[in-house]
Amino acid sequence: MSDKLQIKKLHALSSENRKFSFTIPLKNKIRIGKRDYIVQLRADDKHGPYVLWKNRKYPVEIVRSRQNRYEILFNDISYTFTVETPFSLQRMKVLNAQRGKTEQESVRAPMPGKIIDVLVREGSPVLRGEPVVILEAMKMQNEIQSPVNGIIKSVSAKANTNVMKDDILVEIKVD
Amino acid sequence: MKIKKILIANRGEITIRIMKTARLMKINTVVIRTAVEPNAMYLSFADEIYDNTADDSEIPVFLNIEKLISIALKTKADAIHPGYGFLAENAYFAQKCLENKIIFIGPSPDALYKMGNKTIARKLALNNGIPMALGSEGNISNEEEAVDIASKIGYPVIIKAASGGGGRGMRIVRKSEEMEKFFMIASKEAEKAFNDPSVFIEKYIENPKHIEFQILGDTTGNVIHLGERECSIQRKHQKLLEEAPSCALDARLRKKMGNMAVRIAKAVDYYSAGTVEFLLDSDRNFYFMEMNTRIQVEHPVTEIVTGIDLIEQQIRIANGEALKFRQEDIKLKGWAIECRINAEDVQAGFAPDPGKIEKLSLPSDPYVRIDTGIRAGSAIVSSYDSMIAKLIISGKDRKEAIKNCKMALDKVWIKGTKTTLPFFRMLVRNEKFQNGDFTTSFIEKDLDKYYFNSEYEEMLAAWLATKLFVEENLEENSIAVDFENVKELSPWLLNKRINQF
Repeated sequence: MSDKLQIKKLHALSSENRKFSFTIPLKNKIRIGKRDYIVQLRADDKHGPYVLWKNRKYPVEIVRSRQNRYEILFNDISYTFTVETPFSLQRMKVLNAQRGKTEQESVRAPMPGKIIDVLVREGSPVLRGEPVVILEAMKMQNEIQSPVNGIIKSVSAKANTNVMKDDILVEIKVD
Repeated sequence: MKIKKILIANRGEITIRIMKTARLMKINTVVIRTAVEPNAMYLSFADEIYDNTADDSEIPVFLNIEKLISIALKTKADAIHPGYGFLAENAYFAQKCLENKIIFIGPSPDALYKMGNKTIARKLALNNGIPMALGSEGNISNEEEAVDIASKIGYPVIIKAASGGGGRGMRIVRKSEEMEKFFMIASKEAEKAFNDPSVFIEKYIENPKHIEFQILGDTTGNVIHLGERECSIQRKHQKLLEEAPSCALDARLRKKMGNMAVRIAKAVDYYSAGTVEFLLDSDRNFYFMEMNTRIQVEHPVTEIVTGIDLIEQQIRIANGEALKFRQEDIKLKGWAIECRINAEDVQAGFAPDPGKIEKLSLPSDPYVRIDTGIRAGSAIVSSYDSMIAKLIISGKDRKEAIKNCKMALDKVWIKGTKTTLPFFRMLVRNEKFQNGDFTTSFIEKDLDKYYFNSEYEEMLAAWLATKLFVEENLEENSIAVDFENVKELSPWLLNKRINQF
């Protein structure tokens, strides 16, 4: 599916649902109050990419990019935006209204490490905040807790195995 | 000087720190090249490198006692400095050095053993009249016994590993129903980390400050303290920021706590550098927690306010020299703050974020000292800790040190991993922190946001996301998004893409 249309505006929607709108073609100027400020994306050997804003360099990086979704690291803090056209924004609102509550929750490894212990098995009931897996990463043992009340649907974590960040550890059917 | 050549049984910044002092003292150093970090920065500072990259043992060489002794003998090193972590507090290692006529730069095996075993250390403290939190007499064997003791001393209690330290094998229990679960977790963690599942119980002091005293002792029986460090800014018992001195102490309390610290060190005939940790409650009562029998990560803040090189003292003491100063010679001057800049994702609960450091630029102002083992191109590997650098800031007083710290933090430029920088940028702007109004539960309880961003940063990031979208998708003011074709970019690629724009 390909959209081909004229657009005058784009909206960057943050994961906390804050909306930042920019006119297209995109300018290197941002208006704050009554003044325009120049913003530039640059790069050099010493710093790598950076944004120049009010005489200060801010380190920037793309951490992830997928379709219209961007995870940006700006001054060491990550932000996730979806960039929406006026049409896609409208479509998203409709879709969001249709989508019901999630029924299944995956517990993922928050960091790479080694599974020390799996504290639940298939069919066990879990409460929100209850530890399900003990994961060791960088000399610390971390309790990975259930984000929801529910029943364990499947367990993929095995003791004494290594996992990568975002690997699914257990899946929970939400009560 | 008997010591002519030191094998440093460690890696990273502390290895470089030790080499800097050794060089000033005209002592040669040997370091070990490992397969995990064959190009690490510390290797380029050494007089001699022992190549251990062919070692296929499962144990890291820095934990392999037999191997380290054989390397010391092979390279004709007459002393071993263990740094911190690894074998730094291992009595058996110190004993093995002794047996092989290698000088262990640290305390005696006996002191290491007694202070390393927290139940023995507790008894020693009790017998010497050091204030202590109520707790179990010795180790406890099961959760029933734990519940029993806890009901006597009252909840909350803390379960600690007898052979523990550094925050591992510790769990706070607030009610008896939690005991079974936490007892199991603490005991398992202790067994894994220290090869000893035994744990004991102490009354948990709510909202204390963590205050520790730097100790120096020599082999002729002199013991002095070099004042305190404030280490209350910690998360899950991992320290993030330390200062010297502490604004919670006045001269009188400093003297009282310092005397107690010296007393417990003398109880084990302590020599070398060591640290006595106390908890200080809101009524200014203090309780002995443990003694760390090694040089500590946060030792630089003490060096700045006392002007004493602690590594030099460790080496001189190991060489058999007596301390050149007495307690009354120790004067604290100015203020020092250390920020531990780690490869951690502050926005994801400080999860480690290992990776390659692509760019690194650090400030060089006169009020900044940097201790690091990382340079651009280095990797933060998941087998070791996540430290990138220690940013050590000085000022004539706390206010100036915080102001300097704020400026220095904005000059640190690190690319390749997420770091704890945004956390410190927030902390130095926090009013409670500025007023000295914080305890060990500060991060958990008093903060609603773990990072700082100035007013327009999110908007600028949004502009950048929009710019990328435009460059990728817009042709002559029209849009062509192919939603079927999913693109996965590898991270940290912006540099290459800017050149295409």
